[in-house]
Amino acid sequence: MDSKTLWNTVLVQIELEVSKATFSTWFKDTYVLRIDSGVVFLAVPNTFVKDWLQNKYHKNILQNLRNLVEGVRSVEYIISQNNKKKDDIITDIPSQNKELPLNSLYINPEDNLNPRYTFDTFVVGPFNELAYAAAQAILKKPVAYNPLFFYGNTGLGKTHLMQAVGNHIKQHHKDKRVHYVTSERFTVDYVNSVMANKVNHFKEKYRKYDVFIMDDMQFLSNKEKTQEELFHLFNYMYDGNKQIIFSSDQHPNYLQNLEERLKSRFVAGMIVDISPLDTESKVAILQTKANLNSFKLPSETAYYLASIINNSIRELEGALNSVICQTQLKGRELTLQEVKQLTKDSNKPQKSISVKDVVRAVASFYNIEEDSIYNKTRRQEVVKPRQLTMYILREDFNISFPSIGQRLGNRDHTTVMHSCDKIKNELKSNSELINELNQIRTLI
Amino acid sequence: MKLEGVREKISEAIQKAEKITSKNQTLPILKCVLLEVKNGSLLIKATNLDIGLEITVPVRSEVDGVIAVPGNTLSSLISQLSDDKSVSLEVKDGNLYVSSSKNKAVIKALSPDEYPSIPKVDKDTSKTLKIKAQSLVNGLKAVWYSSATSSIKPELSSVRVYPLNNSLVFVATDGFRLAEKSINVKNIPDFTHILIPVKNAGEIIRVFDGLDEEIEVVIDDNQIAVISKDTYLVSRVIEGNFPDYKNIIPKEFVTEATVLKQDFMKSLKINTIFSDTFYHVKFIVDPESKNIQLTTKNNDIGESSTDLSGAIKGQKIDVNFNYKYINDALQSLNSDSIDFMFGGTSKPLVIKPIGDQSFMYLVMPMNR
Repeated sequence: MDSKTLWNTVLVQIELEVSKATFSTWFKDTYVLRIDSGVVFLAVPNTFVKDWLQNKYHKNILQNLRNLVEGVRSVEYIISQNNKKKDDIITDIPSQNKELPLNSLYINPEDNLNPRYTFDTFVVGPFNELAYAAAQAILKKPVAYNPLFFYGNTGLGKTHLMQAVGNHIKQHHKDKRVHYVTSERFTVDYVNSVMANKVNHFKEKYRKYDVFIMDDMQFLSNKEKTQEELFHLFNYMYDGNKQIIFSSDQHPNYLQNLEERLKSRFVAGMIVDISPLDTESKVAILQTKANLNSFKLPSETAYYLASIINNSIRELEGALNSVICQTQLKGRELTLQEVKQLTKDSNKPQKSISVKDVVRAVASFYNIEEDSIYNKTRRQEVVKPRQLTMYILREDFNISFPSIGQRLGNRDHTTVMHSCDKIKNELKSNSELINELNQIRTLI
Repeated sequence: MKLEGVREKISEAIQKAEKITSKNQTLPILKCVLLEVKNGSLLIKATNLDIGLEITVPVRSEVDGVIAVPGNTLSSLISQLSDDKSVSLEVKDGNLYVSSSKNKAVIKALSPDEYPSIPKVDKDTSKTLKIKAQSLVNGLKAVWYSSATSSIKPELSSVRVYPLNNSLVFVATDGFRLAEKSINVKNIPDFTHILIPVKNAGEIIRVFDGLDEEIEVVIDDNQIAVISKDTYLVSRVIEGNFPDYKNIIPKEFVTEATVLKQDFMKSLKINTIFSDTFYHVKFIVDPESKNIQLTTKNNDIGESSTDLSGAIKGQKIDVNFNYKYINDALQSLNSDSIDFMFGGTSKPLVIKPIGDQSFMYLVMPMNR
């Protein structure tokens, strides 16, 4: 029997013999430290308990121990403040105060806003210009759109935009209280308040804000009580003419397991989607981020990164960071080949794909017969798709020039090389083509 | 048990003891004070299992004995018998009979066997420090309000006492402000530091304030005892490390201002009327016009600003503080004028009394 179960058995025995109050006062926080040649070392929280157990319960404890284990000679009481509960709490106190006083004060627990997210660092492009305009509108004319609901895929800057609105309001209207919260945090808060029996505190806490920003609404699904609380909060704020901003990864109507009454309220305001990134925006974002890091990003590299990374600004940032890091390491500008090498893992894992699939995708995109790509025909509407197919097979799937030629109707490898060069050149100037290429890539 | 004694002395001792008894414990015996008559004196004991107190009162005793009675009942009763010079206590049938010239009362008592014993310190194995009672009280009083009130970090919700050269340094912080006071004491024994829980520090202040005699502080591994002629107080101490606060005291200041304490207190008081729910008070310190302006603004009530002249050097600064933190320190600044040393808008402000190197107060500004 180990010392823990031994002591627990003794405690059960003692609990039967003494009153509940006595037990919880004197015995609750005790535990066996160690057993050493017949002496049981018992940890007690303070001197009071030590004296009391020694004077009143020593015989009792000893008897109970002897009943369970042979050869217990005596019991020693040792004061130990380090019971398990405290172990959890005491962590690196010195470092907490080295910075002293409370850097956390500046991160501002009051509004949860991250001062890094401002409009200065926000890149506006075709994909998010509507969202940006809506955000600007509520800054100029408060509650112009209430609630304002952003939706779009992950990594498109919803959080940045919402926090920028919050920071802007905070900066220009010092009397307004802004609060940013993720739906997850809101749920946890609510659950805690229920557990602590302080639901009213929770209500008051959130109702005092003038601008309420809630991120990642999709995580509210299936949390009925939290939704109800949000519903009441929403009504309160809406009636009080206070700005509410939400975001989620889908249109509210498509959010699963969200109460109808909440959905209908979301729809009442303005719903803006942030569409997938277009290449120019990606390039603009890359350049802005590079500038922030005072890094000169060659436009060729920028276009390349933009072309391989599809839908997330975070991935763009990641790729850019590794380029910056490598450049600083090497002390010179990276060649495109090196960038490709560096970012080969940023590419989405490629499906094993047959030439046929690519041909089918291209053909269906341009609405031509698949066969015409393999044919010798030089009709204008077929030539471009065919060249594009070659380009994709070469750039994305690294198939050799002769092999591509052979599979696309037995062409010479120089034909393929010419096609690839041609597309590559055209991509530099023709944004429509870039767009088309991206769309085809999503089809594959 | 039977005795007769001076009402005022007994009343005073019981009032001190009664405050220690715990109010909502599961164990009813802890609401009681223990009265023990032995060798011609009355020993009053009280404890809440965190701190223990024993006070000896000289009385004329007839029969020795011991009894536990609810502290607040006995305390309210005896303090009300103000017409009488003496009062007598007697145990009959297990209850306590309290009688004065006009009043007779019976207080239901509990069995003294159940009463916890007050831990003793072993003077041979511990370190003993001799100090004037008032010095100890002053040291604790100067800093204890800065301790954290929550018990999440036990070392912050306590007052740290440690020896430095020929003085004892008292320091307390809740992470937002910090107070440090040093008191000259001779013959300090060698110990690293002790952390007294702030609640118990408050009790030490209450029990020993106003006492004019030299007392002993006995420092044990797990507890400290404060012992005067007729009082014995024992408190647990907290194990743990206090944050290394010396590093955060700014060495350089952008602005320094010296003002009269009375003037400053007055302006602060006026402005607190209009402070908002975060207790903001704004300081605008302008060396050119030799002016310190305190401003508060509350959207619901109104706003106010007060000008204060003083000697100022450095650059103009505009910074916010929690007025409660500033106000707390004023009681510990025992001088006519006080020095404000601003480290900058995001660095601590240091407040010191002029001509008194023993006290220092650090407080962080608030953001907007």
